[in-house]
Amino acid sequence: MISIESGAWDVMISHAKKTYPNECCGAMIGAIDGDQKAVSVAVPLENAFTGEQGARYELRQEDLLRADSEARSRGLDLIGIFHSHPDCDAYFSKTDLENSCPWYSFVVLSIKNGEFDHANSFLPDPDQTKADKEELIWPKS
Amino acid sequence: MAKVLIPTPLRQYADKKDTVELSGATVGEVLAALTTQFGDLRKHLFNDEGKLRSFVNVYLNDEDIRYLDKDKTAVKDGDTLSIVPSIAGGSYGG
Repeated sequence: MISIESGAWDVMISHAKKTYPNECCGAMIGAIDGDQKAVSVAVPLENAFTGEQGARYELRQEDLLRADSEARSRGLDLIGIFHSHPDCDAYFSKTDLENSCPWYSFVVLSIKNGEFDHANSFLPDPDQTKADKEELIWPKS
Repeated sequence: MAKVLIPTPLRQYADKKDTVELSGATVGEVLAALTTQFGDLRKHLFNDEGKLRSFVNVYLNDEDIRYLDKDKTAVKDGDTLSIVPSIAGGSYGG
């Protein structure tokens, strides 16, 4: 289960709305206790995909490295990645799966007509063949 | 000794350590020392052919070893190795 605190959630939604109709991406930082993950900080990152960004995103490894350093310096952990799906549902696409990493939770935000609609979290497997849905708790407005 | 930073989800395979100090003259030797000490880490970093998994990248200090001398990149005392995944995606492709 992954839960997202309101401050982090606001940053994620704001980043997704700001980049709409393009996809956004970022890192989620917090604490892990067994299967329970609590996200307290969201770090918006630049979508580095070089083509049309309406349906693609790419994280720069250097940005991820910096997010990990920030987490360590705060005594926290890098526990997940978020990105948005503008004007479509929050599914884990073939593109998401083929470019995923099994170490992190992947939160997908559905943004429709520029507004948040719904979200899901996924846990991809090491061979990038499937991703299980993970219980996601976010602050309801 | 070089310092290897262990990503959070992999610490469960490294005695819960966030950092491990290891000896080795090259990146390849340090990674070999890492997976010798923590055997369970091997399958998370390497595929069945013994190559780094497609999404696994290694940085020596702030530089990607693919742009240095790959696993033959020389390591000095005090260097830091980071394990960084490649991550991308998007709704494209359904």
